[in-house]
Amino acid sequence: MSDYGEGRYEYREWLMIIVIGAGPAGLAAAEAASRNGSEVALIDSASRLGGQYWRHRSQVSGYRSNRADLLFAKVRGAASITYISEATVWSIEREGELIRVNYLQGGSESSLTAEKLILATGAYDRSLPFPGWDQPGSMTPGAAQALLKGHGVLAGQSVVVAGTGPFLLPVATGLAEAGASVIGLYEAHSPMRWLLSPQALLLNVSKFAELIYYAGLIRKHRITPRFGRVVSRFDKGQVTISGVNSEFSLKKPSRTIEVDVVAVGWGFSPDLTLGGIAGCKERVDIDGTTVFAVDAQQLSSQKNIWIAGEATGIGGADLSLLEGEIAGLAASGQGISSQLRMARYRKQVFADALKRSYSVKDGWRSWAEKSTVVCRCEEVSLGEIEESVVELGAEDSRTAKLFTRAGMGLCQGRVCSRNVSEIVAGLTKCAVTDEERIASSNRPIAAPIALGLLGDGKK
Amino acid sequence: MSNQISFTFNGVTVQCEEGQSIAAAVINSGTLALRKTRFGEEPRSIFCGIGICFDCVVVVDGVANQRSCLITAKADMNIESGS
Repeated sequence: MSDYGEGRYEYREWLMIIVIGAGPAGLAAAEAASRNGSEVALIDSASRLGGQYWRHRSQVSGYRSNRADLLFAKVRGAASITYISEATVWSIEREGELIRVNYLQGGSESSLTAEKLILATGAYDRSLPFPGWDQPGSMTPGAAQALLKGHGVLAGQSVVVAGTGPFLLPVATGLAEAGASVIGLYEAHSPMRWLLSPQALLLNVSKFAELIYYAGLIRKHRITPRFGRVVSRFDKGQVTISGVNSEFSLKKPSRTIEVDVVAVGWGFSPDLTLGGIAGCKERVDIDGTTVFAVDAQQLSSQKNIWIAGEATGIGGADLSLLEGEIAGLAASGQGISSQLRMARYRKQVFADALKRSYSVKDGWRSWAEKSTVVCRCEEVSLGEIEESVVELGAEDSRTAKLFTRAGMGLCQGRVCSRNVSEIVAGLTKCAVTDEERIASSNRPIAAPIALGLLGDGKK
Repeated sequence: MSNQISFTFNGVTVQCEEGQSIAAAVINSGTLALRKTRFGEEPRSIFCGIGICFDCVVVVDGVANQRSCLITAKADMNIESGS
């Protein structure tokens, strides 16, 4: 086996568990499962451990990153864990009592079988369309952070960070620390929304320390966070900032500033592709996000498949670590302490408070213009989607998609499908049903694969 | 640690540190647009940065639809925006 990235695969006669995803949840799962010597293969598409959350060039930096170093050392040091990097899993299938995982590495196909599978596939930034969101210079906060922390590159000298949620803080302060001029930090919601969930703060007092850490950085770089404002337009280096009401409807007046980069994010969408292929049952979370249904042991609806981290509900790294640990212990037949369950419960209460405080409101549907691209891959505009509903009579997003090709491009609707569903629902004056949310999240193949490779050999 | 390598992007030589992605290297060289769209011929650059959105796809040594945010730049690669 040749070497791709950090991982060094060692052949195993027999594997107990395959863990897909080497972010906080997957690392915690692999580490926990290895405690009783269970043979584990950890597969990840990146070249190094850490996932999207702990991305780093030489050493990890940032708030409480020593946790990462400790976990990396344990995973690297565990004799029963073999780690495969730069490997993209594109399908999962049953083979008798075993589970086969097919992956691409360096342009060729390989596979592994094991008794059990733990999915820790994480999440990506959720985006909403506004005029100019497809122009170069407009990107997700995650992209700005990935360029910086993963590659040491600033996407531009001046940056506006906007959208909603606590993730905006590390992105804005990280860019400022690296020398970018953070011209604005705009949160669409009011901070007063935390008053909706006082119990979440009482159960997670440590979160105040984190807030104080970022408040210090914000003060150091003279960034003034503004609330109730959104990026409503970006055009060749000119960004328009508009006030919004609590339902995200635009209020006049707005102002325009010059900037190289706008980094706009609206929380996260879990990556459901692999669990969907495996037939794991989904549910709609309190914020309308489709996630996997799991039991108290993180077991999915499918036998011998556990799921941990963001794919079971967006909750951040702290919750992902605990869910991963529980999944790893359960899959390897070890006991789960009540302290661990209680810790997870506290983080779940906090995660639900985040979803309530930073929920995306329907007013965003009025930001795009007729000419604004909604499906970036197939270049489908809002006007075309409206036409499919009003002129052609599409009554749901599936029909609108067939008329317009929205969501049928290379990304398979990962970026736009939820937005298309909600736009169509707005036009037909219907709510998006849970069935539709779940259906629009499923994709048959996880990564584009050449037909030649599919026909290559084995079956 | 930081060995310099070079590759070509649309015929222009780009210098970068070993280990950087194609997208990071091109953006760091001062070029934001990585390709033009098929229908509208609109410029596009990196968007999600983590391999989800496929907006940054380029042709790498003749192989189309490669996500430049994921692929590590290698010396003497020939990268094209494609069509």
